[in-house]
Amino acid sequence: MLKDIRVSCAPHISQPLSTRSVMIDVIIGLAPAMAVAGYYFRIHAAILLATCIISCVTTEWLCNRIRKKPNSLDDFSAVVTGIILALSLPPKLPVWTAVVGSVFAVAIGKMVFGGLGANIFNPAMAGRTFLSASFGLLMTTWTVPATINPSMPAVAQDNTLNARTQATPLAWSKLAIKNRLGADIYSEEQFTPALIGEVGGSLGETSAIALLLGGLYLLIRKTISYHIPAAVLSAAFVFGGIAYLIDSYVYVQPFFHLAGGGMLLCAFFIATDPVTAPLTRRGMWLFGLGVGAVTMLIRIVGEYPEGVMFSVLLMNAVTPLIDRLFKRIPAGGKPAL
Amino acid sequence: MSVQLRGRFSFPGGVHPPEKKQLTCESSIQPGPAADEVAVMLSQHLGAVCNPLVNKADAVQAGQKIGDRDAFVSAPVHSPVNGKVREIALRSHPVIGRGLAVVIEALPNSPTQRSRFTLPADFDEGKYSAEQICQAIREAGIVGMGGAGFPTQVKIGPNPKLPKETLIVNGCECEPYITCDYRIMLEWTSQIIAGVKLARRASGCSRAFVAIEDNKPQAIEAISHALENSADGDGISVAPVKTKYPQGGERQLIRAILKRHVPTGGIPPMIGVVVLNVATAAAIAEAVVSGQPLTHRVVTVTGEAIARPGNYYVPIGTSVEDLIEFCGGVTEKCAKVVLGGPMMGIAIADLTTPVTKTTNAVTVLTKDQIGSAKFARRQTACIRCGRCLEVCPENLSPTKIAHAVKHNLIDVAEGYFMSACIQCGCCSYVCPANIELAGHIKTGKIFLARQKKKMA
Repeated sequence: MLKDIRVSCAPHISQPLSTRSVMIDVIIGLAPAMAVAGYYFRIHAAILLATCIISCVTTEWLCNRIRKKPNSLDDFSAVVTGIILALSLPPKLPVWTAVVGSVFAVAIGKMVFGGLGANIFNPAMAGRTFLSASFGLLMTTWTVPATINPSMPAVAQDNTLNARTQATPLAWSKLAIKNRLGADIYSEEQFTPALIGEVGGSLGETSAIALLLGGLYLLIRKTISYHIPAAVLSAAFVFGGIAYLIDSYVYVQPFFHLAGGGMLLCAFFIATDPVTAPLTRRGMWLFGLGVGAVTMLIRIVGEYPEGVMFSVLLMNAVTPLIDRLFKRIPAGGKPAL
Repeated sequence: MSVQLRGRFSFPGGVHPPEKKQLTCESSIQPGPAADEVAVMLSQHLGAVCNPLVNKADAVQAGQKIGDRDAFVSAPVHSPVNGKVREIALRSHPVIGRGLAVVIEALPNSPTQRSRFTLPADFDEGKYSAEQICQAIREAGIVGMGGAGFPTQVKIGPNPKLPKETLIVNGCECEPYITCDYRIMLEWTSQIIAGVKLARRASGCSRAFVAIEDNKPQAIEAISHALENSADGDGISVAPVKTKYPQGGERQLIRAILKRHVPTGGIPPMIGVVVLNVATAAAIAEAVVSGQPLTHRVVTVTGEAIARPGNYYVPIGTSVEDLIEFCGGVTEKCAKVVLGGPMMGIAIADLTTPVTKTTNAVTVLTKDQIGSAKFARRQTACIRCGRCLEVCPENLSPTKIAHAVKHNLIDVAEGYFMSACIQCGCCSYVCPANIELAGHIKTGKIFLARQKKKMA
């Protein structure tokens, strides 16, 4: 009567969810940031995004070919890596540099560990760190958005430095710390450009609003849980706040640290990379707090203006330990032996 | 009195699969097929397998005991029909693979349907002593009809070490598709309440709850009204629980209603609780009042690929094939035949598998239903998203256990408390990487059992 019936273990139904749909959600979440990047940096944004995506995908395909593994491109994780890497790079980065970064990100950051799910470090951050270490000058050559008149005066009417014409907001915050003249060069008005993205900086980091929109989408779709973003941002706010309270003359406002640099990109899209973050909720809290705290440590005390990539990689490295620390205990308690 | 219809009780974790109960929730319980052959398995329960009490070519009567075993944890089996023993042979068994069955050829004119039990108007559970009730349950071969099949008299019988105080009668029916318990609650209401009273008396419990998910408001109302009108109904209350899978798991149910945890690796009596299925309660009433053994049960035949889905009162031992044919056969899209619901049911390959005391449903799924899960998508590596941890009602780490089992590290898996898994399947249900987490964990448990056997 019946020929083609299947048997398998239960359950026999499942949620219409796949690794690919999770990755596509992340891409949709990144869309506002990509759009804003396109608006402010025009053709450079398109070139950088295309270069990173194509070289990440090609690298993954080649790695699979070399290792004689089945093609894994259909999970779209290489595309996500490419986009995140591109958004974290300076807009006018030469194409060859972006290619090198992408190849490193996918080949060394992901595929040598065994591909998606086995990598210890966030591939995009591994690629970016490699570029920072190798091509320091190129990686700190910033471009002002195309909407800004390059001949705009560097000093605003109220005698503070004009945020829009500076290298990046974080760079001059660092400058302020070094030269101890924070309050002289900083004014509240310059918070608005950082929100909408009309400042210098990495391709996708400039607009806080676009990143928040994308993060909200991921939260609503339950692609990410709120634990890691909340932990990262609250740790950054608290540490930035402490510094500001200690010496508000030298250190900038904590809100400025949240909106500036890669903090939001990190909180919603990089630190939440499920593969390299802890599994348990308590683990996620600790991981996020660590990312936020280390980032602020580097920004306030360290030599670099920006610390997101190092803090993410550092916390990635301790993720297995965090998982072990917060091992889940059955609801009925530990079994009596 | 207005009836509380919204569920207040719940537990952390769990999933919300599409309920799909509308296929059969309006179909009242109808007589099942008059099969000319039934195969009564000698093992339909947890515990010692029965020895056959009849020989080949013996004549048997409906209700005659045909298998029993003088063991504490065991339950006899009875013939559902008048007929002749054709053979005692191996038959495909849904749970243990293959097992001995007494195959009975029904007499041509033998009534395969037994007359519906009606509760006498002067029913009073005080007439029966606890021993009498336990004895009747044992003789009738009643086992947990929700799925596990644990012999009921062992569960509710007196145990001085573990005194029981709370009886929970489980009418949650959290599995998608299945409606047999729902129909029983609507149609056999007074019988269930009689069963609850008898079970309460036998177990010595002081209070009893009837737990019903709040997607069945009619059942909640029916039971509540019947309790109001019944003498000595106090001490029994209806507990509406939230609709969530696996609300009907006894550990989850106890946690939801009583806010207490059954110890890991322990059983509910350790905290003074007994959980019975509503169908079991109905069978208890029948067995105690009229001495009828458990030879028939209500089975939901359902799924998108079945022509006429419905609820049927089926002789135990009827083959799934006969049952499906009785319901108009399957459509071409049929891809999987599952005994039980789609979350925990067992997919069978051999349609001659007979219905047992624990078969609550035959769910015939189409490719579309299982497609999104098992056909269309490629399995990827675990992306460690943690969804399986979020939904695990027992607070385990399914991905950790499953991957340890995959690499044959049973001790590591046990370090993540593999044995505490209740096999509900929520983890596999949500996994975006399409990994058969529950399947791996089950495999691991079997490996562990083998290891222990070798050491012993």
